[in-house]
Amino acid sequence: MTKKPEYRDLFPGALEMMILQTLSKKPMHGYALAQQIKRVSDDLLQIEEGSLYPALQRMLKTGWLESEMGLSPKGRPVRIFKVTEAGTNHLQEEISSFEQMFAGIRRVLAIAEL
Amino acid sequence: MRWFQQLFSRRRRYHELHESIQEHLEEKIEDLMEDGMSREIAEQTARRQFGNVTLIEERSREVWQWPRWESFLADLKFAVRQLFRNPGFTVTVIFTLALSIGANTAIFSIVNALMLKSLPYPHPERMGTIYTRVTGMSAWDERHKLMYEQWQLLRDDVPALLSAVSSPHTSGVNLEAGSHVQYLQAGRISARYLDVLGVQPAMGRNFSDLEDRAHGPNAAILSYSLWRNTFASNPNILGQAVLLKGAPYTVIGVLSEETITPLNADIYTALQLGPEGEGNGTNVEAITRLRDGATWQEADSEINRAWLHRAHRYELNDDPNAQVSYHSVPLQKGVTAKLRPQALALMLATGFILLIASANLAGLTLVRVLRRSPEFATRLALGASRWQIQKQLWVENLLLALLGGTVGVAVGFVALRGLLQLLPEHYLPVAKVPLDGRVLAFTLAISLLTSMLFGMFPALAMRKFRLRSAIASHSATGGDPLRVRQALIVSEVALTVVLLAASGLLIRTLIHLQTLPAGFDATGVITAKASLDDVRYHDAAAFRKLLSESTAAMRQIPGVQATAVGQSLPYERALLNGVTISDGKDAGLQGMTDDVYITPDYFRTLQIPLLAGRSFTDADGPETQHVAIVNQSFARKYFHGTNPVGHYVNKDTRIVGVVQDVPIAPGIDATAPLTGEETMYIPAAQTDPPLLAMLHVFFQPNWIVRTSGPVEGLTAQMQRALSSADPDLPFSGFYNMRDLMAKALATQRVEVALLSTMAALALLLSTVGIFALVANIVAQKTREIGIRIALGSTIRQAMVHIGAPGVWASTLGLILGLVLCAGALRAMHSVLYGVSVYDVPTILIVVLTLAVVTLVATVAPALRIAGIDPAKTLRED
Repeated sequence: MTKKPEYRDLFPGALEMMILQTLSKKPMHGYALAQQIKRVSDDLLQIEEGSLYPALQRMLKTGWLESEMGLSPKGRPVRIFKVTEAGTNHLQEEISSFEQMFAGIRRVLAIAEL
Repeated sequence: MRWFQQLFSRRRRYHELHESIQEHLEEKIEDLMEDGMSREIAEQTARRQFGNVTLIEERSREVWQWPRWESFLADLKFAVRQLFRNPGFTVTVIFTLALSIGANTAIFSIVNALMLKSLPYPHPERMGTIYTRVTGMSAWDERHKLMYEQWQLLRDDVPALLSAVSSPHTSGVNLEAGSHVQYLQAGRISARYLDVLGVQPAMGRNFSDLEDRAHGPNAAILSYSLWRNTFASNPNILGQAVLLKGAPYTVIGVLSEETITPLNADIYTALQLGPEGEGNGTNVEAITRLRDGATWQEADSEINRAWLHRAHRYELNDDPNAQVSYHSVPLQKGVTAKLRPQALALMLATGFILLIASANLAGLTLVRVLRRSPEFATRLALGASRWQIQKQLWVENLLLALLGGTVGVAVGFVALRGLLQLLPEHYLPVAKVPLDGRVLAFTLAISLLTSMLFGMFPALAMRKFRLRSAIASHSATGGDPLRVRQALIVSEVALTVVLLAASGLLIRTLIHLQTLPAGFDATGVITAKASLDDVRYHDAAAFRKLLSESTAAMRQIPGVQATAVGQSLPYERALLNGVTISDGKDAGLQGMTDDVYITPDYFRTLQIPLLAGRSFTDADGPETQHVAIVNQSFARKYFHGTNPVGHYVNKDTRIVGVVQDVPIAPGIDATAPLTGEETMYIPAAQTDPPLLAMLHVFFQPNWIVRTSGPVEGLTAQMQRALSSADPDLPFSGFYNMRDLMAKALATQRVEVALLSTMAALALLLSTVGIFALVANIVAQKTREIGIRIALGSTIRQAMVHIGAPGVWASTLGLILGLVLCAGALRAMHSVLYGVSVYDVPTILIVVLTLAVVTLVATVAPALRIAGIDPAKTLRED
């Protein structure tokens, strides 16, 4: 089957999580979202900007996001994405399971150090 | 509904997506330019950081699609385009598929109607008939006819079953309606016959026990068509009397339009079977219906208990120590038993056709796939996966198979109509042979199966496809397609050989039967039947008067040389009867013979040679010495070839002559469809008067006329002559002796027609296969042939080189086919007459046919070699 480039350096669901987290702070349009994720992750996570778009479409379809017309900070008419209630719930679940997993890994690493 | 909305909002979504991405890029470029980049560099950078725009847009759009379905649709569109681009290939494939699938559809419709469809009665699974199983010296297990004693016991002592009996066939009767008399087919059924079928008359009722009793009151039930056509749908017909068989019969019922009985008669009368006469022999057939709450096991044990202690156990006649038992068999199996092996053999033959067609198509598609190598190489190089190309190929095959299947259904429908026309009336024991859902499902299934069979080889070839060498050489690679194709030809030729040999044997059988020494002269003979199952002719004197007056009147017709009446004719069955030799060293010897009553001119009219003694004369009357004339077979069997003239049989009947055998439908020993059986002719005037009534229920006598040449209006004059003796006696129709022979050999003719069609189809497909193989080699090797010719090879040598693979494949196929024949044809043993399973002329003709066909199929395409210009082919590429 075809490879999905957006998952190259991330675990499944990570991109969605980052998008939800970012948008839950503030709704924004695609370009701004890409810049924000880049800035926050300090370019540590190498993602193609384009790979956001299939993810955004998937999340629109699932109902985690919705979009509406708005203005960019520079005054261009753009499509603004914002998180729905379902998206918020999903993010909560993801974060808690991510934290659990992370705690687990931590503990294993700690034991290994002994 | 969500998917429905999605479908319509999709275009808008795509548009938004496209815009978002464009905005993204523009904003990025602006930002980069603000950082001091030139527009050109900024654009490049933006695109690099964004990724493949087209691909990302496609992936994003896919989120809203059903990817599998839509990619299938795209494949399908592409497949349709491919098929249109190659009309020659497409038409060949669809034509091949249509023929083979059509043949399968037609034959399967018959198998379906005979074996799979339920009988058209309520709860058909509770309907049965009874088989007699005899083990011992002569073993058999079949639906045997019953005698009165058995019927009585079955009716009264088998409470698990509701049972009924009927005459096995309809017989001709006269019905007077208004001013004229009609010749109709009457079925004789017992009380409860319609109850066993689960059928209620549309009007009136079934026969009562009283009406079914021997010498009971005359009653009749009309079929719907008779009621409508002859009685103008008279609503007050019940209780009225109609003049049937010369006597008044009270109409007690009318069947509904939908009602079908196994007898399929115009009119029904009560069987009225008693212990005497007809009931004294096995003359009726039983049908049964399991009563509520009973099981077939209970029924069978009741039948065995009732029948094993009968007074007259004819099953033990041949072997007093034989083990006899009875068992119920589903009625459908009982009525179709005789046709099952033939239907299944035909199904096998059409299966062969399907395999042959698949082999051909595999060869064709294989070549086509290899020809499309450059296309696949390009697609692979552009990033398509092997799976995507495979999928594309399968979609094309599937499309072809479905197109072929659709045309095949049409071909099958036409073929089935033709086939049913070919069959004699009432040949199939079912009223309808529909193309129903089951047939269509079968056709769909075999279409898919075919596509699997012929799609397999190209798919395998694709797996070995080497991208690099394919691009380098512009030509086919992977495996050795020639070997594969040759193997395909070998197998299809082998199957063709089996079909050819089988149909050859059947043709030889038919020829043998049709050219049996006739023993009489059929030219200029016209015959017509009339029904004497009529109270007026229960009187022997009236019967004698009718025969002499009517034959005398027919002799007066100008151009008529001779005329006679016979109870049965050559090619027909005769009355099976016992005979006792009354004098000589074998006195007391009992055996069976076919009895035929005739008028004095019978042998002269048919020109059956008298070998010894004298013929009958008008002087052989009821009061004079009882006489008989026997045929050669009779003399051989009962007098060991010595002259029987002067000897006595059946106490007081004196044999006065011997005549040559004529072929008749066998009654004593059914070893062949036509035989020269022991036959005893007796003067019609000396027929036992009590026997007359029963005899004329079974047999409608024939008026025979011999003319020197064509006589205008002969049949009308014959009818007038008969009417001069009895104005109320209609003829059933007029036949020549060829018609009678054709009727007797109907099964064989049908077998020959069907199997020969299959064999011809197989031969055609194999020819196309060999032709395509060689033609393809010529096309592929044009350059090589050019070099060969340039290097001094003659055209003849080049042709031999090119044609050899086709000839080899065909020869190997022939040998393999003959080996297969050695095993497979033995199964045909029981349907062959006058020809052995390993028949040298048949095999020679098969070999010769294949040789000619192979030669034509290889030489025709190889002739193109002559047109090859070496200089030109070498300059190419």
